[in-house]
Amino acid sequence: MLVVGLIGYPFSRAIWLSFTDKLVGYPERWVGLRNYLYLAEDDSFRTVVVNSLVFTGASVGLKVLTGLAMALVLHATWRWRNFFRGLLLLPWITSTVIIALTWRWMFDAFPGRGFFNSVLLDAGLLSSPIAFMATPGGAMAAVVVANWWRGFPFFGVSYLAGMQSIPGELYEAASVDGAGAWRRFWHITLPGLKHVLIVTILLTVIFTINDFNIVYVMTRGGPGTATQVFATYSYEVAFNQLRWGRGVTIAIYAVPLLIALIPLVSRALLRERA
Amino acid sequence: MRAWKAATVVGLAAFALVVLVPFWWITSMSFKTYEQIQFAQSIYVPRPFTWENYRGLWLETRFPLWLRNSAVTAIVVTAITTVIACLSGYAVARLRFPGREAVASLILILYLVPPALLFIPLYRVLAELGATNSLAALCLSYPTFTVPFCTWLLIGFFKALPAELEEAALVDGATRVQALRRVLLPLAAPGIVAAAIFAFTLSWNEFLYALVFIQDERTLTVPVGLNLLIYGDVFHWGQLMAASVITTVPVVTLYMFVQRWMVEGLAAGGVKG
Repeated sequence: MLVVGLIGYPFSRAIWLSFTDKLVGYPERWVGLRNYLYLAEDDSFRTVVVNSLVFTGASVGLKVLTGLAMALVLHATWRWRNFFRGLLLLPWITSTVIIALTWRWMFDAFPGRGFFNSVLLDAGLLSSPIAFMATPGGAMAAVVVANWWRGFPFFGVSYLAGMQSIPGELYEAASVDGAGAWRRFWHITLPGLKHVLIVTILLTVIFTINDFNIVYVMTRGGPGTATQVFATYSYEVAFNQLRWGRGVTIAIYAVPLLIALIPLVSRALLRERA
Repeated sequence: MRAWKAATVVGLAAFALVVLVPFWWITSMSFKTYEQIQFAQSIYVPRPFTWENYRGLWLETRFPLWLRNSAVTAIVVTAITTVIACLSGYAVARLRFPGREAVASLILILYLVPPALLFIPLYRVLAELGATNSLAALCLSYPTFTVPFCTWLLIGFFKALPAELEEAALVDGATRVQALRRVLLPLAAPGIVAAAIFAFTLSWNEFLYALVFIQDERTLTVPVGLNLLIYGDVFHWGQLMAASVITTVPVVTLYMFVQRWMVEGLAAGGVKG
């Protein structure tokens, strides 16, 4: 009950604030839907929506693909499987801030600091350093890579658990019937993983679309607004421009999506328990 | 078959490389001198090898203080979370009361509400309580995400334990509290340890709330402090890397001891990814 209060009360305050023009230091005034209408017309907010979708779509897509590959590799590992599973999970327990800092340096334009530039220059593949983070596309790619790196081990471990619960007889029967490796994967492995796939994708979409740490630490939403997403823009408007009402409204714009996704995830997870 | 084995080995090596290279890069930078970093000398392995960054970090910055703040917060939050999550997890898994299913769904939904939505109103609530700018703000706000998650995890663990054991204890004259303490808790110990470690890791790594709720440089936690080091003094790359290494080590060490339980908990609960 305490926790319900700790979340429920702030949540209702959030909705209330979004209908006011609260500026820090001034009492709030009721302005109805004005914040919502303002943002709907705002070009930078539109960029933010697009960025959030690109960021989420690209990271989740990459995580699913590499997660599947990682699970297949681990599943085929005959010795030391638990050791490698533990090793590959390391990014997932590391602080996101440290991951974001690390990838910031990995992509840094200065050869001594940036991993890619150092190695490529050293190998003679580049004649001058590339400033990855200075271009809109490069910055977006960098934040996606950092997010992917943190998230894919979780996908891999979940899919591995899913694969281990598929009965081996199915594969034997399919082999006897002459199905090749690809058809076995397509007709047995993927359907067997359907439930895990749905749960991991939905959960990650919910957390990625509201991600703050990686984007904030790596780019602060820049260059320009090229990597600004819901959470970082909300922070920017609320704490740098001091417009709390509008800041909260930005976060609330993501709520319809959550309302659509959360029941789906809960149902899937509760069914697993039943 | 040989081709498959070769493909597996190549795949494993590729994944291990992808995971380890960034760790190796920050560790190696933390042992390089300023000149080595600035002029791209001895790129792969620091030669000569220096402890200068660690010494500077420890003596010249507020890092030790931040480390202490992070540790205090994480330990307090872990203690609070473990107690609440054990009791509520037990209640939902074992006691029969109306609306039990609804409570289970509610806990899950609370876990899924993202901090990005709550940080502004939570800040106001904490400001009204006069708790901002202190570790109390973090100790109050972190349970909003650790408790639902750990409760959810423990419901699963408690449900998996056979009810007969507890019933036998009750028949033998134990009270419910005794049955919980003497029979169920020891059996659920692996789950409780996993939940505690998740709570510790989540609080140790938390960034957004700490960034928003704390302004005083001496009250910061490590993640926010590190973020300050980048902009505060652009020359100390090596120190920043040293700080990252020091911060990562406790979590990785904890994790190595209890990897098996954590992975089981992870498979049982479905965790952020």
